[in-house]
Amino acid sequence: MENIKSKNNEQSKLRAFFSGDQFKALLPFIGLLVIVIVMNILTEGKLLTPKRMRLLLSQVYYPAIVATGVFFIMTLGSIDFTEGSTLGVASIVISMLSFKSIPLAILGGVATGAAIGAVNGFFHVKFKLPSFIVTICTMYLFRGVCAYLTTETAVPASKAIKALDQDGLKIGITLAVLLLGFFYFQFTHIGNDIKAIGSGETAARFSGVRTDLVKFLVFVQAGALTGLAAFVNVIKVGSITSTAGNQLETQILISLVLGGLPITGGAKVRFSNIVVGTLMYTVLNNGLVMMGYDSATQQLIKGVIFLIFVALTIDRKALKVIK
Amino acid sequence: MAEKTLLVAENIDKKFDITHAVDNVSLTIDAGEIRGLIGENGSGKSTFSQMLCGIYTIGGGKFILDGKELHARNQVEANNQGVAIIVQEMGTLSGLTVAENIFLGHEEPFMNGIVKNSAAMNKEAQRLLNEYGFGRINAAAMIDQYNFEDRKLVEIVKATYMKPKILVVDETTTALSQNGRLELYKIMDQVRADGRSVIFISHDLGEVLEHTDTVTILRDGEYIDTVKTKDVTEDDLKRLMVGREIGNAYYRTDYGNPVSDEVVMSIRNVTVPKQIYDISFDLHKGEILGFGGLSECGMHEVGKAIFGASWDREGSVTLADGTAINDIPTAIKHSIAYASKDRDNESIILNESIRNNIVLPSIYDLAVHKLLSSRKLTNFSKKHAADMQTKMSSVHQFVSDLSGGNKQKVVLARWMGKGSDILVLDSPTRGIDVKVKQAIYALMQDLKKQGKSIIMISEEIPELLGMSDRIFIMKDGKINGEFFRSEKLDENDLIAKMV
Repeated sequence: MENIKSKNNEQSKLRAFFSGDQFKALLPFIGLLVIVIVMNILTEGKLLTPKRMRLLLSQVYYPAIVATGVFFIMTLGSIDFTEGSTLGVASIVISMLSFKSIPLAILGGVATGAAIGAVNGFFHVKFKLPSFIVTICTMYLFRGVCAYLTTETAVPASKAIKALDQDGLKIGITLAVLLLGFFYFQFTHIGNDIKAIGSGETAARFSGVRTDLVKFLVFVQAGALTGLAAFVNVIKVGSITSTAGNQLETQILISLVLGGLPITGGAKVRFSNIVVGTLMYTVLNNGLVMMGYDSATQQLIKGVIFLIFVALTIDRKALKVIK
Repeated sequence: MAEKTLLVAENIDKKFDITHAVDNVSLTIDAGEIRGLIGENGSGKSTFSQMLCGIYTIGGGKFILDGKELHARNQVEANNQGVAIIVQEMGTLSGLTVAENIFLGHEEPFMNGIVKNSAAMNKEAQRLLNEYGFGRINAAAMIDQYNFEDRKLVEIVKATYMKPKILVVDETTTALSQNGRLELYKIMDQVRADGRSVIFISHDLGEVLEHTDTVTILRDGEYIDTVKTKDVTEDDLKRLMVGREIGNAYYRTDYGNPVSDEVVMSIRNVTVPKQIYDISFDLHKGEILGFGGLSECGMHEVGKAIFGASWDREGSVTLADGTAINDIPTAIKHSIAYASKDRDNESIILNESIRNNIVLPSIYDLAVHKLLSSRKLTNFSKKHAADMQTKMSSVHQFVSDLSGGNKQKVVLARWMGKGSDILVLDSPTRGIDVKVKQAIYALMQDLKKQGKSIIMISEEIPELLGMSDRIFIMKDGKINGEFFRSEKLDENDLIAKMV
């Protein structure tokens, strides 16, 4: 009798662990490990070769930079669908300015991104429109701008900027963005304010958080970071077509959710979500390509994995409409 | 007369993770009985009744109603088996008409195949509303047109028209005005007269004593006792709830001590369109200034206006040193604290830890060279949560897991941590049990002694009389009367200015 009781007890403890927050927080890391191992087996060990790893890393840089900006937006409990079009427009600006001066090109790209972020933030905050509606509208708008500027021909970048295509520079920029982001998310009141807004905006406002200002700045920041990512993109690809950054927004969204970011934002977000998620997405993507699936099948598989992950990790207690 | 047993609860049990919310509770209720169910916050009374009504699954044990075991997986099934509940929070659905709300889950009589006969449904709903004496509510209108109180009345109709054998009234009266309460009592008496029964949950012991036949007391999820209402006094009930004698030091006992002449804050001609008009007064050092009135009189908006939370406020709020308070960050920086009546939305971030709730207003003070140290935040929140004797597993526990009383302790802990000199407390003891109430009153007296000033907005007249140095009564958005602390002052003096 006692035996049965203690066994039941252990079982219920185990169940509590698997449904608990600790396990949910670990899930992305386990997921990353599982995906790496499974992909390595399925590709017969070709994934974990130095050459592949380098290629893999080269695909992580600019998504990781963009994801850092979006991470802050999603922590607010908001969402942003404009990364792809912002990257496209900013890449064009950078390419054009790259013939004059490289620093000017970088500045121009960041400013373009920040301006688009400011438009999003302004409409979201001032007119109290859900970010999800605003950014879907501006996504179409800037996708249009991007297409207009590239109708005649692709926009080429200068040779000088293409010469910068070295891993050192790209790793440097990516690491700097991640470290800076981590630092102020974790150790300043701004990070705290952003989380507080995500957990409960009204209560945050009544606690002295300048909610409107913080939200606006977070959108500007996300745009600026996408502008910086556009620079990394330009030195890699060299010439910009109308499809630049196509579907980047969904890639980022999927990456962050795979990384364990709750789509409701708030208290349970972790900065590690960015890194884990971006790596997971890239490994998954590469594995599927190496296994020779066509892009339609790849999308299907990614969709299924994404659904499973959201269903497993979402915090139903905090569920509300995405702002 | 031999009484017939209507409901038997056998060894009812419920656990939420490690919390034993209801611990092996057994009781019986007779037909034609109004049974009070009382206990402190977190004593398990709501959990118990919500298992009965199919809102929570039963953790263990069984309910037997009229000889048949209840098997309800949701409220509609519970309704069909003869149990209905009127809940504490909003129990009607926006976007539906009054009639659709009343017949929610019971639409069959009005269905022709898959087509709903709205006209018949509206007609029947209107007939019910008229029968209850709520004829002014239009059955065909959208529920959103009606205020909180009218929506509660609709809910009462919805819960009782099918004549349930057991009607559970869970803390409903706090949302109702005097008139609404009277309507509810009438319906409860009607249920009893029909030989059916009511389980009446309330924190207002006076009300429990007046309207029940018997009272069951729960404490920490356990069954304590069931007593006949006519044999007990309010103090007996308090003692049973708390498990010890509640002292006399409930409200303040001092009278005739003058309040300092020093003005700490001046409010001049404050108007918030459609809510409050031309409010002017001075708050003194060490003063407890009460604001009373009917729920819609504008007193809650006064608190928000002082705290800088109303965007369309006119007039001025100025501190003794000349600082104008126009927004929340300025208010907090200059030592003003605000605890809202809407605790869960405005005072506290539910989906966030106790720690982060407590540190939020003080975050600038806690930063060294603009940098935060996690350990420092944890220690700060630990200290202030402990000072308020918050019941918690750790400061990392989420606030959403806490009972109403403990949430309010977290709210107060954050402002104690901030060390605010002017506290605006809106309904500080709303929905809070005796023990925590006593602690809050003691804290207020303590703060007064330290020379801090408090504006207490309250819908409870005894609280206003018992705690305030001065009381403003508001009516239709204006100050309608001013009273000074005195033993001679009584409820009727205040009520006369409210209505």
